[in-house]
Amino acid sequence: MIMPAKLRNLTMVALLAAAALILRLPGGNPSPVTPSPAFQAGSAPAPVTFPLKPGSVRFAVIGDSGTGDSFQNDIAQQMVKVRATFPFDFVVMLGDNIYGGHTPQDFAKKFEQPYKPLLDAGVKFYATLGNHDDPIERFYKPFNMGGQRYYTYNKGNVRFIVLDSNYMDPEQFNWLENQIHASGSNWQIVYFHHPLYSDGRFHGPDTDLRTRIEPLFEKNGVNVVLAGHEHVYERIKPQKGIYYFILGNAGELRFHNLRTSSSMEVGFDEDRCFMITEVAGEEMYFQTISRSGKTVDSGLLERQQKAAPASAEVKSPDAAGAEVKGPAPAGAPAR
Amino acid sequence: MNRQLSKPWARALAALFAAGLISCACGQKAAAQSDANAGSSADAVAVQDFENRVADYVKLHKAASGSVSRVKKPTDSAEKIEHYQHALREAIQARRQGVTQGNIFTPPICAQFRRLVGAAYRSDSSHIRTSLRTSEPGTAKVQIRVNHRYPDDEPLQTMPPSLLLNLPNLSPELEYRIVGRNLVLRDVEANMIVDVIPRIIPQ
Repeated sequence: MIMPAKLRNLTMVALLAAAALILRLPGGNPSPVTPSPAFQAGSAPAPVTFPLKPGSVRFAVIGDSGTGDSFQNDIAQQMVKVRATFPFDFVVMLGDNIYGGHTPQDFAKKFEQPYKPLLDAGVKFYATLGNHDDPIERFYKPFNMGGQRYYTYNKGNVRFIVLDSNYMDPEQFNWLENQIHASGSNWQIVYFHHPLYSDGRFHGPDTDLRTRIEPLFEKNGVNVVLAGHEHVYERIKPQKGIYYFILGNAGELRFHNLRTSSSMEVGFDEDRCFMITEVAGEEMYFQTISRSGKTVDSGLLERQQKAAPASAEVKSPDAAGAEVKGPAPAGAPAR
Repeated sequence: MNRQLSKPWARALAALFAAGLISCACGQKAAAQSDANAGSSADAVAVQDFENRVADYVKLHKAASGSVSRVKKPTDSAEKIEHYQHALREAIQARRQGVTQGNIFTPPICAQFRRLVGAAYRSDSSHIRTSLRTSEPGTAKVQIRVNHRYPDDEPLQTMPPSLLLNLPNLSPELEYRIVGRNLVLRDVEANMIVDVIPRIIPQ
């Protein structure tokens, strides 16, 4: 875990204070977790509970997952376990969905088998292409790409825009300009493989891509950007009012590959992980969970207005004054 | 083909022509302008030749695609996808027997592409270099053979957007890829190397 140096002392205090902290996953038994470093910075860590509001949008996020090894399977099993208490409806895949060959055996070993319990339960996967993916994957129905390299879909009050960052040609730019637009009430979440910001040593940010597409995001009120490629987890401090996440370690991992940086909010490079998310109205709750079930980050984001603030903040549910409810009532409708 | 005039390189070419005409009208540096016009004309010819060759290839691709059991819409079957890709590649290879490097990137077209890549680097070198570096450095070892499969266990190098903006548009059947320092023209669905320009990327 890497945090800005100025937070370290606070973190130590907060870690001690958090020793007895219990996070309750809705509907499940209380699970002891490591509190989010983001919360440690400002105040004593607060318990985070997903509201599971009726009609909310609930999904999981994985990136660089398609190794077919035991680590990918561990994460998949952890996802199944978490879904028992946090019933997410779909999974966002941030690319490198199938490493190596693309034979039917590869699809089976690196996707169908690990996620079989989720697929059998009707959970949908929405993939983007990574640099290890053959673009022919867009014809693989379980990836829900509709035969396209880039596409959009809507879930509740969230519009997802999925790009192919491997090949950002003028045609895709034109398409993006037509698709992306400031919205009065909807969240816009954009995801693709290559991160615009990254403190990973191995790759780092793609500044050429950033120069080209970030102005569009900023102008059109994009709220959240998700990327993979860097085999770590990182939540970057909001840039130009946009929340940036990297989750490229749901299968692969570059151990201790993050550098300390002032732009990093939270980093985790010691194990594989995935993220669960709930968008409820103007709020987006998130929790990042490692292979062992440890929470490595969590928080609540408030939807930015069209004119994004210069420095959007991530608040703990308590600090934000948001109503943090306990487990959802039995039978709460899952979307 | 008309929409390709909206490309930066096409606009630059048009601007070159316009600049040449204006200068000629002013009667300044007549000899130099004559050379520039001759160069621009050669550039335009090279680009037109490239477009014609690409159009011919796309016709061939479509004919090959029509001769095999095509995956027209997404399928649950990874077998069907693999079979389609394999059959399509074989059908294209059969129609392109004996094709060698330079079948599309002829020497004049290569020269024009080197100028276009050079222009992109002159205007935005650091971002392009960063973009290439942040992709997958391992691709330099890929063996490139025209009319053969791109190794599907090798990652595809990301194309820097600034570079793509400077290259002629392609039909969806084709794409450019950087492999090491080489520019590859790749058939997307067949996963096949159509042609290559060696060592076009500056060190």
